[in-house]
Amino acid sequence: MSHVPDDLKYTKEHEWIADTQIAQRVRMGITDFAQSALGDIVYVQLPNVGEKVTAGKVCGEVESTKSVSEIYAPVSGTIAAINDSLVGAPETLNSDPYGQGWLCEIVITEHSADLLSAQQYIEITA
Amino acid sequence: MKLSPLHQRHLDRNAKMADFGGWLMPIDYPDTGVLVEHAAVRERVGIFDVSHLGKASVKGKGALEFLNEQFTNDLTRIVDGQAQYTLLCNSSGGVIDDLIAYRKSPNDFFLIPNASNTADVVSALQSQAPADIQIVNLHDAFGVIALQGPLAAKVLEKFGIKTDLDYMCFSNVSINSHSAILCRTGYTGEFGFEIVPQWEEALQVWDALVAVVSEFEGAVCGLGARDTLRTEMGYPLHGHELSLEISPVQASATWAIGWKKGVFSGSEILRKEREDGPERRSQAMLCIGRGIPRAGMEIKDTDGKKVGIVTSGTFSPTLKNGISLGLVDSTFAVGDHLIIDVRGRDCEVEIVKLPFVASHVR
Repeated sequence: MSHVPDDLKYTKEHEWIADTQIAQRVRMGITDFAQSALGDIVYVQLPNVGEKVTAGKVCGEVESTKSVSEIYAPVSGTIAAINDSLVGAPETLNSDPYGQGWLCEIVITEHSADLLSAQQYIEITA
Repeated sequence: MKLSPLHQRHLDRNAKMADFGGWLMPIDYPDTGVLVEHAAVRERVGIFDVSHLGKASVKGKGALEFLNEQFTNDLTRIVDGQAQYTLLCNSSGGVIDDLIAYRKSPNDFFLIPNASNTADVVSALQSQAPADIQIVNLHDAFGVIALQGPLAAKVLEKFGIKTDLDYMCFSNVSINSHSAILCRTGYTGEFGFEIVPQWEEALQVWDALVAVVSEFEGAVCGLGARDTLRTEMGYPLHGHELSLEISPVQASATWAIGWKKGVFSGSEILRKEREDGPERRSQAMLCIGRGIPRAGMEIKDTDGKKVGIVTSGTFSPTLKNGISLGLVDSTFAVGDHLIIDVRGRDCEVEIVKLPFVASHVR
């Protein structure tokens, strides 16, 4: 069974988002289910700080040895921070997807209506 | 989908399974993953189920002469007890399959073609064979287990098996009283063996070998690692580097052609293409920029003009870098820089000599 923390929100595309200390700023990453399905992650392409992203549109890529998976922005906004350490250590996405393996932080301009609770996310991945 | 005789063992290990040429086979195992499995083969030992590979026999008086008129390589250059990498081409020089031919005697050969091409190889040979030569598809008669890595011989020695076979030689052995063919072959670039037990006994042979592989801290490996290992060597995969549309002259596989022997299937066109020089050639490309090339991506010159296509690409676990094989206009050579279009981003690559990683097969 994959790990689904209760206090996060999720997307159907297997991203998670978490509130940060700063209002309107969220942190995002990919779920334990996603990292497990991908297998060993060997490459991460992140957006640039300052880049505008749109909810539901591609904002990055994660690749395993065998396949590529796109990362979709869970909300609309501006990229405020990226997790640069993933470039040299993409395997962190496998070992700690909800912690050290976070992807980026976004200052929200528009919330997405489609976010799932932990319980709803568990149901779609069951 | 067809199932390997070892299928239950892959389920026991919760393997991620996928279709390989009509067979449901393991990609990787969750307890290890492609990177650990890959490293196990390079550094210690790995064991793979490759029972999806085809098996066929060619028997009868004159089998040697018959096969030498079909396959590209020259079977008179090996002796009984040796195996040879060879190709079966059609009359247009397209590659029906690449395969290993095991010479038991001039009248008795065993073939290991690719899973999805076995039926085509068997029917192509049957359509040309004289009445006294029998070609039998034995796909479901044997399992195939690959044992690869520097400790592979140590694993077999635990069963009292003599492992001093030369590269590309084979012999009959007994593993816990189950008979099998032992071949000094492989598809990883490491020292290793491929073991061909009877289908019904494959499970017992597998279990016995896996137990010893574990003792040596090796890994059970899926076909994901097999692909990264072979790509680091630049070994061709049919359907990618070789196909009905990609001739061996283009694929730089001419070392598997016995030019000095007489006529063989496709020889006329291949000889002409060799003399004229092919318009495109398989090249190995190492990424300089960040990115992982994948099959089907476009290759451009530094001015942005399309000059080729990627046939295989992956992340090299050994080099920690993107690597690829591709068909490129023949005007380009080792040392030249090109650009691969990775989903809209330019990834600079350099044409390099193969292998990407040093081979230890001998």
